[in-house]
Amino acid sequence: MTTGQPAPAGKPVPLPDDLTAPYWEGAGRRELCIQRCCRCRTFAHPPESLCPACNSPELRFEAVSGRGRVYSFTVVRDNVTRGFEAEVPYVVALVELAEQKRLIVVTNLPEADPERVRVGSPVVVDFEARDGMTVPQFRLASDDR
Amino acid sequence: MNASLRDRVAIVGAGYSSLTRRSPRLLAELTVEACDAALKDAGVTRADVDGVATVPTMPAYGNAGSLDGADVVSVGYLIRLLGIGHQVDWYTQTPGLITSTVIDAVNALAAGACNFVLVWRAVHMPRGRYSNFSRPGAGGEDQFRAPYGWTMPAAWQAMAYQKYFADHGAGREEMGRFVVDNRANANLNPRSYFRDVPLTLEEYMASRMVAEPVCLYDCDLPVDGCAAIVLTTAERALAMGRRGALITGYAQTTYPSTGGFTDPENMWIGGGAMGQKLWAAAGVGPEEMDLALLYDGFSVFVWMWLESLGFCKRGEAAAFFRDGHGRLTGSLPVNTSGCSLGEGRLHGMAHLTEAYLQLSGQAGARQLPNARRAVVTVGPGSWVSGGLVLRAL
Repeated sequence: MTTGQPAPAGKPVPLPDDLTAPYWEGAGRRELCIQRCCRCRTFAHPPESLCPACNSPELRFEAVSGRGRVYSFTVVRDNVTRGFEAEVPYVVALVELAEQKRLIVVTNLPEADPERVRVGSPVVVDFEARDGMTVPQFRLASDDR
Repeated sequence: MNASLRDRVAIVGAGYSSLTRRSPRLLAELTVEACDAALKDAGVTRADVDGVATVPTMPAYGNAGSLDGADVVSVGYLIRLLGIGHQVDWYTQTPGLITSTVIDAVNALAAGACNFVLVWRAVHMPRGRYSNFSRPGAGGEDQFRAPYGWTMPAAWQAMAYQKYFADHGAGREEMGRFVVDNRANANLNPRSYFRDVPLTLEEYMASRMVAEPVCLYDCDLPVDGCAAIVLTTAERALAMGRRGALITGYAQTTYPSTGGFTDPENMWIGGGAMGQKLWAAAGVGPEEMDLALLYDGFSVFVWMWLESLGFCKRGEAAAFFRDGHGRLTGSLPVNTSGCSLGEGRLHGMAHLTEAYLQLSGQAGARQLPNARRAVVTVGPGSWVSGGLVLRAL
């Protein structure tokens, strides 16, 4: 295709680092892996260098249920992020995972009708392939058939 | 802060540059204008300034620059322009927000490090959209946000609105009543960007959505401009016969946000802990305040501060503003000049200058009849926020 137009810029891709690589590697296996303290069993996300509850350095990533509820959400109408131009309006939600209070993962709800999203809506993790990476993306549990 | 520091230092002058959306003049010129105006208001000259302090940053999202004199105005840049480098005995450039800068200035003056401190905050509105995220890869904390198109402060704060609304049964109409009353205050403020532009609830409800439920009028108003204040010791202010505002107490938030997101819980816990420290430092309580100047980078912050400081219980701020208690004629006038939502975004300076003007009887058409004590907060309640209690000199 030679329209003379440059290809539209894609959505940002995560750049894993030493602390976060296991999270994104887990997503590549279609597992939601969350950092957990081996000593006091507290989960932490985004990943931490020491356990914020007991300061243990022994933190391992473990697969979690992938279930949670919408803690809060917004519908972005005025986009400023590359690659999201065609998505407007789109949902960004904070998901509180079932495993622990205020253990929050950011997501879109790509399949959801924004009008049907509520604080407290149950959600289930899914995954989206993006430029050789995989990013966790949730869906409304009520959309499962 | 212990009791020995109460009422030792006063704000004795305030000055502004013009406030416009985009100024044809460089930020350095606006900063000199504001600083000279503040010195004149204080009854001193450049020759008296031996302390200087600022927050030398700007809202540095996306593609914003940091060119001294155009995007920011550092201490070094300004003291060279003012020609006072040889006489300055104390200075600081604080990260974070202007309350930290003022707290440092109070400590320096009380300790005897200097006699007159000039504090300024210069904010530039860069070209284009300053919160664009245009990079193909997202590292650091952005790796959990940018891949989801969550890169804009309004969209971050939207989470707090939605959660607050859901938890407490409030909504945009209650927020609109606060914003509309706030605009009426801005209409009485001659330097306010919105001085000639009233706002109705209908206009608020119909205004452009940025990130639901945050609309255009919930966001502070980016401007090019500068505000400055002059501080000195209480003894010196009295000897000069100045009107002013004594700083009775101060506190800072020491509750770092966790999890990289903003929600009412972080604001409420952080702001609540700061509020307790602030009242203990000042030796007075919320019931003794005649007005409150609460940070309004986004309108929801004002609700959170009202509750965090103990002016009402958690979840009651919506009803407080719905019933008009925050108006000039209400039980606790809030943001009497329109502050960041109405005057313009100077990151907390509007709150400091208005406290000084009200407590020194210089607030013109919006002057409260018995303004003796005020509380100022700057920041979202979570990390880097600060607060001051002031009283009339």
